[in-house]
Amino acid sequence: MMMKFTILAAFVFSFALATGSSGQAQEIEVEKVFKFYCAQCHGVSGKGDGPNVTEDFPVSPRNFTNAAEMNKLTNADIKNVVMDGGPSMSKSPMMPPWSKTLSEAEVDALIGHLRVLCNCKGKEG
Amino acid sequence: MKLTSALLLALALTLWSLPGHADTAAGEAAFTANDCTACHYTDGPAKEKTIDDQLAKKGPELWYAGSKFQREWLEAWLQDPAPIRQMKFNSVTEFNAGDHPKLAAGDAANMADYLMSLTSDAVEAGVVKPKKNAKGRLIFTKKMPCSGCHQYEGRKKKLVGGRSGPSLVGAGMRLNPDWIYAYLLKPEIFKPVKAMPVFIGLLSEKDMKNVASYVANFK
Ligand code: HEC
Ligand code: HEC
Ligand code: HEC
Repeated sequence: MMMKFTILAAFVFSFALATGSSGQAQEIEVEKVFKFYCAQCHGVSGKGDGPNVTEDFPVSPRNFTNAAEMNKLTNADIKNVVMDGGPSMSKSPMMPPWSKTLSEAEVDALIGHLRVLCNCKGKEG
Repeated sequence: MKLTSALLLALALTLWSLPGHADTAAGEAAFTANDCTACHYTDGPAKEKTIDDQLAKKGPELWYAGSKFQREWLEAWLQDPAPIRQMKFNSVTEFNAGDHPKLAAGDAANMADYLMSLTSDAVEAGVVKPKKNAKGRLIFTKKMPCSGCHQYEGRKKKLVGGRSGPSLVGAGMRLNPDWIYAYLLKPEIFKPVKAMPVFIGLLSEKDMKNVASYVANFK
């Protein structure tokens, strides 16, 4: 009886692990999300040089590879500005609000991606 | 007697509808014969569910072309297809090479008839009037990032604005004003996956109408 239960539990547990991890990998491919939504202004490599940045673009999109600038932001700051747009952080409205477009999980994954691009941890908090 | 007049009426109706119908059919045949189907799908509803689905497309979907475009513009553009998107379709690094297939005048007329017959009932007619809408202008140029991704004619006819979205220069000639509003209001119907943010809940329906009215006024 006990034996059976252990096997069953192990089975259920490994099943949960397998679906959990493969599900996540399928759900969010963060580089693809970044390239599709963010690169048009921030550039494919995040340097703030996307195709929308013409000479008359009013304000430079943040260069995500600039660790000094990116370290001024907490992860919560990034989440705010990505969800609710520039004005939510007293920044330019040229930074769009994505709350109705991206899921919270996608935004969380993007924060991780920006931290890879800046190779920085950001302000505590 | 009753039967004869019914027959006559039926005959008259058939004759009246034939020419239009013939052009639509000829246009549909030409659409396939010219391989337009290689890059455009014409059967709705929208098929895209993921970013990959969107990126796999070689050209914009045309299943609601009759609700989106103005016929006169469409017929002219098919003969002289100047770039609408500044970037290559689905690219953020390469520019539009301006190499869209060109049609002769007769084919373009039939094709325009056919494409104008592809409509969506999600577009309500007569809602948006093109205007120099001051509120719409404020939204487009200041409050929202529309101008960051779309080219338009600024002061002194200077072309300004971003490049990732279709150029909206001449949108007043190209697009149906009511479709612009429907596009903002019901993105899940027309563009379930797109690089433009969803503005539902961020812009009121009234402001969506204002900005649609402003864009529909672009010469
Ligand atoms: C239409 C152009 C545009 C797009 C698209 C865009 N951004 Fe931005 N972003 C900007 C601009 C412009 C700024 C700088 C705003 C300022 O400094 O006032 C900015 C700033 C930022 C900042 C820094 C904010 C701060 O407080 O310093 C972050 C983080 C950011 N963007 C993330 C993203 C992410 C993630 C995406 C994709 C989901 C994205 N952006 C898409 C234009 C854009
Ligand atoms: C090799 C792929 C390809 C083929 C073949 C092709 N198109 Fe296109 N079509 C495109 C692309 C890409 C665009 C976007 C062009 C632009 O923005 O300037 C486009 C745009 C259009 C548009 C405007 C759509 C919009 O939303 O702006 C129409 C109408 C159209 N094509 C009709 C046709 C017809 C009719 C044919 C056949 C004669 C055809 N196309 C063949 C790729 C193609
Ligand atoms: C981050 C960039 C971005 C922002 C911000 C943006 N758009 Fe767009 N827009 C796009 C892209 C990209 C498309 C094309 C989507 C597609 O066809 O897949 C588009 C399509 C459109 C179209 C349809 C054009 C056509 O010919 O198919 C209209 C109209 C439009 N946008 C209006 C607006 C308005 C109004 C705003 C502001 C409220 C706005 N856009 C903000 C990127 C943007």
